Amino acid sequence: MPERAEKVVVALSSIPNTGKTTLFNRLTGSSQTTGNWPGVSVEKKVGRFTLGEFEISLVDLPGAYALSPVTEEENIVRTYFLKTPPAVILNIIDASNLYRSLGLTLQMCTSGLPMVVAVNMIDKTTQLDIPLLSTHLGVPVIPISARSGQGVPDLQQALYEVIKEPERTHIPHISCPPVLEEAAKELSRKIIPGGALEKMDSNFLAMRLLEEKTFADSIQKTGLAAVINQWRDRVEKTTGEQIPITCAKCRFNAARGLILETTRKQSAPPDERSKCIDNILLHRWFSLPLFLLIMFLLFQAVYGLGAPLQDLIGQGFDAAEAWLRVQPFISRQSDWLQSFLFDGLWQGLGVVTSFFPIVALFFIFMSLIEDSGYMARAAFLMDHLMHRLGLDGKAFINLLLGYGCNVPAIMGTRILSSHHNRIITILLIPFTLCIARLQVFVFLTTILFSPVIAPFILFSLYLSSFIVIVLTGFFLKVLRIAGKPEPFIMEIPPYRMPTISGVALKTRQELKDFLYRAAPLIIAGVIVVWFLTHFPADVPAAGAETWAGRLGHLFSPLFNPLGIHWQETVALLFGLIAKEIVVGAMAVIYGGGDLSNQVFQHISPLQGLSFMVFTLFYTPCVATIAAIKAESGSWKITLFSLILGLVIAWLASLVLYQTGLALGLR
Amino acid sequence: MKKTKRRFERYPGVECIIHSLGADEKIAQRLAQMGVLPGATLQIIRLAPFGTTVEVSVDSGQSFAIRDEYLTALKCQILAMPLTYPDVRLHTTYRIRTLFGGRKFQQRMETQGIHPGLFIKIVNLTKPRVILQLIEHEKTVKLGRGEAEKIIIEVTNA
Ligand SMILES: Nc1nc2c(ncn2[C@@H]2O[C@H](COP(=O)(O)OP(=O)(O)OP(=O)(O)O)[C@@H](O)[C@H]2O)c(=O)[nH]1
Ligand SMILES: [Mg+2]
Repeated sequence: MPERAEKVVVALSSIPNTGKTTLFNRLTGSSQTTGNWPGVSVEKKVGRFTLGEFEISLVDLPGAYALSPVTEEENIVRTYFLKTPPAVILNIIDASNLYRSLGLTLQMCTSGLPMVVAVNMIDKTTQLDIPLLSTHLGVPVIPISARSGQGVPDLQQALYEVIKEPERTHIPHISCPPVLEEAAKELSRKIIPGGALEKMDSNFLAMRLLEEKTFADSIQKTGLAAVINQWRDRVEKTTGEQIPITCAKCRFNAARGLILETTRKQSAPPDERSKCIDNILLHRWFSLPLFLLIMFLLFQAVYGLGAPLQDLIGQGFDAAEAWLRVQPFISRQSDWLQSFLFDGLWQGLGVVTSFFPIVALFFIFMSLIEDSGYMARAAFLMDHLMHRLGLDGKAFINLLLGYGCNVPAIMGTRILSSHHNRIITILLIPFTLCIARLQVFVFLTTILFSPVIAPFILFSLYLSSFIVIVLTGFFLKVLRIAGKPEPFIMEIPPYRMPTISGVALKTRQELKDFLYRAAPLIIAGVIVVWFLTHFPADVPAAGAETWAGRLGHLFSPLFNPLGIHWQETVALLFGLIAKEIVVGAMAVIYGGGDLSNQVFQHISPLQGLSFMVFTLFYTPCVATIAAIKAESGSWKITLFSLILGLVIAWLASLVLYQTGLALGLR
Repeated sequence: MKKTKRRFERYPGVECIIHSLGADEKIAQRLAQMGVLPGATLQIIRLAPFGTTVEVSVDSGQSFAIRDEYLTALKCQILAMPLTYPDVRLHTTYRIRTLFGGRKFQQRMETQGIHPGLFIKIVNLTKPRVILQLIEHEKTVKLGRGEAEKIIIEVTNA
């Protein structure tokens, strides 16, 4: 073995909700990086720590119930194991319900890869014969509590030893119906595993080939396909069911046997506390009002606390700008450079910073709801409504929070249970009427409409936002833009107390992500808009002669039927920086003076309404675009979202304006 | 005894034993991998407010939210049902299996002499009252509909 620190990949894998992330955080502290798994917007987390002379990369795999995939997440786990097997598997078992976890554990054990099993949440039960479990599984088994840290040093020691001495003593045998065993034995003789698969047990590989039609394509050698199919047919005919189900039966039968042998007391007592809480929170009549109350509090907590902080930051930036502008080393610079520094770069930084408070608050409160176990209940309550759109209940919360600000809502889609749901929700969130847009609408309606009508206008804007979300949801469902929805079968976890460290780590991670993945795009976007509205250099900013003005003119044939003048098109372009800027931009574009008066003279109520409808549906802002890119990890989705927004905005404004004209409105 | 297919999943308290996981491959595979296999006992815990989503618990101690259509597709044999279940017959002897409610409800039933293990006959099922004959105690008890929903009974061989 080499002398220098050797790099070792350890993969953390278990079924959902066993404390994987908690253990990951405990082992790696803050040295984590997140990203997306290639091609899918599923979180990929890698963290580093050292064990003696080894430098460990710990990969936090998505939760999976088995290696033959049903969901996108499981597909990732399966592909990861078979394409790039880790040096060691770190598998977690939920001590409070062994049966849940053992199915996957047994499957992983038979792979023949070096493995360590951690029995987590040992604080909840002590009635376990750990050595016996270890003997049966053929791998070290360590009781731990990821939450309190108890047993973690032992786990590290066990990992170290397995890395040093990776040979497995024995591989457990799971008894199956004779025909299946025969098929596996027959096939295992025929496959000659090469490359990454060399380390794996051939019986395990044979099982994989039998269980999974898609996997077979990736490793089969010539002539094997026919044999596999033959066996598959024979097994399915004999057992009368699909092979994955037969295999699951075998595993869980083995699991039952193991549990009988290794637990001293029969099955853990049912969780009375969760039952009591559910009797209230999921009560037939009270559940919905309570849900709405919790959502209201959540919304208020994020945006009620966040908005003043945002204002404060905005003021700070303005003050700093004013101070900087008069500094000699800056005022000496040329005009356009100053403009670039302040109207471009500085403004971009300001936009990025202004998102910090709400992103932080958003993830603090979302983690509380998620970690406490209420998120699953919310999904259960709202499932029926969202099911119609091909989504499940969790997406409701993201959409709802979009009504505050799209950016954190889009970042928060990571909690959703499938790739399909994430993409659809990401595409729908931009149609929510966020607070920034509300500010523009309030400003315009008070100028253009009488105080009696104005509230109705605002209300109908909210209503049309709902309607467009529902219609677009149906449209996307029919279009199958993100593939098929996954079956909705969700485990409802017991209620648990969230931990401060867990919430803090999560929030920190999200802020870091926002900074690294979304912020550069936001600043770039702001600078592009600055360029369009300030160049060529020798014309007045935001005027008809700038690129923006020319674009406005160029597109006027498109916008005239909507009753939107080129000046407002430029304002819409400005609105990409942030919606709050639209109003200020209008003042500049109309050439100063009293803005209310200017608006009143230039825009008729019907035109104003059309402008607002367009503002409501076209892409909210560069920050949202950046968030969509960062979350979906795909320019295609980002572009699709942009176009979808523009098309819907255009159509909605067109219908509104032309109908209005036809009805004789003005 | 074969009965017409009831939408058993619409009655909280119903317990059934799974015979087969249904025809949809993906859903069957999902359930199997979660450890919900033929032979497992399901209990319907509650319906979501709009009704198409159901919470069920499995004898292995897990609790799931699941769409009712998936449950309809399962082949199940009903083991126990609430008094208000449509298949419950008048003048047939049943045994009380569980009281499906909080401690308060259980105490209230106890004071009326109703407890798990008791043999009963149903005298009247028409709304709004359910009248039970407690066979061993030789008396009858009147129950509200809401109470009857929470008394889970099983068929006896006697
Ligand atoms: N009592 C107790 N709770 C724990 C322990 N470890 C984790 N938890 C809790 O279990 C819950 C789930 O933990 P996570 O770390 O999010 O589990 P996970 O496996 O990453 O879950 P998914 O990412 O959803 O698959 C959290 O509420 C934790 O606080 C433990 O040792 N004891
Ligand atoms: Mg996790």
